[in-house]
Amino acid sequence: MTTPFEAGLAEVRTGRRTLLKVGGAGLAFSTAVATTAAAAGPPPGDRKRAYVLVIDGCIPGEIDGGLTPRLRALRDGGHRFPRAVSMPIMETIPNHVMMMTGMRPDRTGVPANAIYDRRLGETRTMDRASDIRVDTVIQRLNRRGYRTGTVLSKEYLYGVFGTRATHRWEPAPIIPVSGHAPDVFTMRAARTMVREYDPHLMFVNLGDIDRFGHSDFTGTTVRLARRLALADTDRLVGQFVDMLQSTGRWRHSMLIVLADHSMDWSTPDRVISLQASMDADPLLAGKVRISANGGADLLYWTGATADRPRAIHRMRQIALATPGVLSAPRRDAKALRLGPNAGDVVVFCKAGWRFSDPNPVTDNPIPGNHGHPATRPIPFFIAGGHPRVPRRKASSALARTVDVAPTVASFFGAGKPRRGWDGRARI
Amino acid sequence: MSLPSLPVRRRAVLATGTAGAGAAALAGAAPAPAEAAGRRFFQHGVAAGDPLPHRVVIWTRVTPTAASRPGSGEGPRVEVTWEVARDRRFRRIVRRGSVTTGPGRDHTVKVDVGRLSAATWYFYRFRYRGTSSRVGRLRTAPATRSLPGHLRFGVVSCANLQAGWFSAYRGLARRDDLHAVIHLGDYLYEYAPGAYGAGSDDTDVRRHEPAREIVSLADYRQRHAQYKRDPDLQDLHAKYPFIVTWDDHEVANDQWSAGAENHDAGEGGFARRRARAHRAYDEWMPVRLDGTARLGDGDRLFRRLRFGRLAEISMLDLRTHRSRQVSTALPFPAPAAEAAISDPDRTIVGRQQMRWLKDSLSRRGAQWKIVGNPVMIAPLGLQGLPDEVLRPVNNVLEVLPDDGFPLNVDAWDGYTDDRRELFAHIRDRGIGDTVFITGDIHGAWACDLPYDASTYPVVDGSAGVEFVCTSVTSNNLKDQLGTPPRSPASLAVERVILANNRHIKYLNFDDHGFSVLDITPARTQMDWFVIGDRRDRRTRISHTASWQTRAGTAKVTPVDRPVGR
Repeated sequence: MTTPFEAGLAEVRTGRRTLLKVGGAGLAFSTAVATTAAAAGPPPGDRKRAYVLVIDGCIPGEIDGGLTPRLRALRDGGHRFPRAVSMPIMETIPNHVMMMTGMRPDRTGVPANAIYDRRLGETRTMDRASDIRVDTVIQRLNRRGYRTGTVLSKEYLYGVFGTRATHRWEPAPIIPVSGHAPDVFTMRAARTMVREYDPHLMFVNLGDIDRFGHSDFTGTTVRLARRLALADTDRLVGQFVDMLQSTGRWRHSMLIVLADHSMDWSTPDRVISLQASMDADPLLAGKVRISANGGADLLYWTGATADRPRAIHRMRQIALATPGVLSAPRRDAKALRLGPNAGDVVVFCKAGWRFSDPNPVTDNPIPGNHGHPATRPIPFFIAGGHPRVPRRKASSALARTVDVAPTVASFFGAGKPRRGWDGRARI
Repeated sequence: MSLPSLPVRRRAVLATGTAGAGAAALAGAAPAPAEAAGRRFFQHGVAAGDPLPHRVVIWTRVTPTAASRPGSGEGPRVEVTWEVARDRRFRRIVRRGSVTTGPGRDHTVKVDVGRLSAATWYFYRFRYRGTSSRVGRLRTAPATRSLPGHLRFGVVSCANLQAGWFSAYRGLARRDDLHAVIHLGDYLYEYAPGAYGAGSDDTDVRRHEPAREIVSLADYRQRHAQYKRDPDLQDLHAKYPFIVTWDDHEVANDQWSAGAENHDAGEGGFARRRARAHRAYDEWMPVRLDGTARLGDGDRLFRRLRFGRLAEISMLDLRTHRSRQVSTALPFPAPAAEAAISDPDRTIVGRQQMRWLKDSLSRRGAQWKIVGNPVMIAPLGLQGLPDEVLRPVNNVLEVLPDDGFPLNVDAWDGYTDDRRELFAHIRDRGIGDTVFITGDIHGAWACDLPYDASTYPVVDGSAGVEFVCTSVTSNNLKDQLGTPPRSPASLAVERVILANNRHIKYLNFDDHGFSVLDITPARTQMDWFVIGDRRDRRTRISHTASWQTRAGTAKVTPVDRPVGR
């Protein structure tokens, strides 16, 4: 199977994008050929810049924990949303997609990191550029002549956003197990992209805090690895802000800082595996597929359509009787808005638990997880020197990841989709 | 709750700082002539309560004849008119009406005034036979979907009239920057003179009326009437709407669902006594029971009050539905080791209120989930083994309480399974910004609310925070010890408590006073103000401490200055 990086390389080779290696650091950026040729350019003199920094997996309270002075200063000096939340499923890919589309998964087509693909008959990661079925704010700005850039540290994010941005960092080096580039390289790429290409919108994912959280076996106690990552990422964000200020960009900039989800930790005795229970049921045996998403399991009925109502009822019954399960709503519950790619039943775990499906031993051995309601709260604040960014203001409004695209579009005056946003502009 | 009697020693008089912020606008202001005449008929003042965006309850009691004494059952049925205006001179009256009252409801008047504008100050008064009551002032809550920049509440509890003067109420009434006053219970006490006063020798600074423990409906009415005649309380009621809940003394000490420590068979059935107490409460307090201002349609007190998208206050009733307190082998303050403390079949809130409270916390309408909580929820005791160690042992033996050895089993500490269920609900759903504001324990406390107190803070994790206001007058530690405030004895006790409860960050077990709760989207702050000698009617009032919780942290941190300075 082709990995996202292999697909990206193929695009370069076929000439749809040009590849440029910058400086001695070995950073590689690809640029859309058609866009560079056709760009009419933004309105003359338009110096607005928007930077979206995703501190992947950050918990809101961590910014008050003393390890992130730069993030805290940015938050307190700008416009903060203390109630902000991630949206179901509280995973990386769907929430990044919501950020850039301003739409919920029933419209974007991306409800989770992993789904059971009924067409392929297999469980897969939603890392294909074609998985996003709707327009993104990146493309909206491209069409208006703005330059856009993505600096995405994770392989699957690189994949799902594909070639949408004018300029794309080809992430390296990638840590094999985590599938992400360390923040030190990601931020170096972000700074370089600003200097070299100066995109009007740049979308950055910083994966260290999340990745160190996932693998932190002291997560339920002292979170040693996590704390190191927090301090380091904070320093790198500070360097980025310093660069914007020293180059005079800050006063024209809006910097949106948020997380895609937060994080929760579990011990090895708090693992839920539903596959065996489903297979032990006469009605469900062999006809339920599960895609595990950390703190959420998506259950897919693969049996006869006529049996689906009964099967859904039974799946929910079994799930709710399982220790560690918090809730098991039907996928089509109105509030979830997940769309059919999310299957038939969504099962969320309680705090301090995780799913490991279909194999209870080998799947998901990592202690840090998200996807369940305990991981909804996220930091979300808007900083920057542009006059439209409120100073030292806090709001009780319920900001969500899906609000990023409307906020960016509002900042650039880029209009809205024909069917409107699901999120709201926060400036 | 009543702290136990300890040997008495003379206490010193405390003389401290300056009075609370703000100028008197209504409190103690000289009445207009008609208003002065009206005070003959309206001897118990006016009050407002339970502000909603478009509705507020207003209250008074009329005394139409000399015979119409509270609790007497005497006097005619009369009609009283009421008016609500935008200005103090009532030139812009926006709502008016009339109601008939009589001895059947002890001549109280209670109106749920509707069709008001949100986040608006109003003035109200009652009229009878051409005279007017004093003028009260109220503020409606912000519109449900609005984004208020801040909210500010006075917070009080435990006002024992026999133990002293209500200077704390005076201090709050002098402020001009509050939106409402939250009373967390023990608004009045049931005791006879000499039974519970100031200090361990129970000196009565003032004497209760009737001069006996209150048991009958007439008794409860008279006691309410006596408290409502207190000038400091009258001024505070006239200045701000109240949001109230009851604790135990509105009925009897250490009340539970079917009895109370201060109730015996000789006083009749407890259910009847409580029904009388609740009836008098419904008549005399500006509150909606069962969601209405009507009398006799139920006595459900737990309820929500929404203040835009900034905060929602959930007021609890922790007496009516609770199981009996565990009988401990050793008296308070010895730590309790009875396993029944964590028996899941025992409850402090009751099943219905627990479902309601969890729903309150899950609702996404407002940022800050403020819980009006009559008794303390933070663990207070000698912390035991970590949960992970203790749970397997107790699964087999059931010999030890699950959450350490509590000092006060009349609080949530005596019903730890309820607390565990509630905190798990908060954690499982990622609920942030939950603040319990609490009375009962006659001290000032600021606490984190750890999921496991035995390992906190090494193992992080807090469900929210708790701010506890001290008592208006009821005995605290120094009163029971008979020592001056902040004596080595008090400080030693506080140090022991803090050392054994690392989630408790601030404690002042010595002073009486009031608190001010200020809520913004960025943080919620509690300021504590203390009075001097509660026996001195004009004692000074000063700021003593401020703590805050920043949004999203579920932790308390100290603050240098109170709000409004």
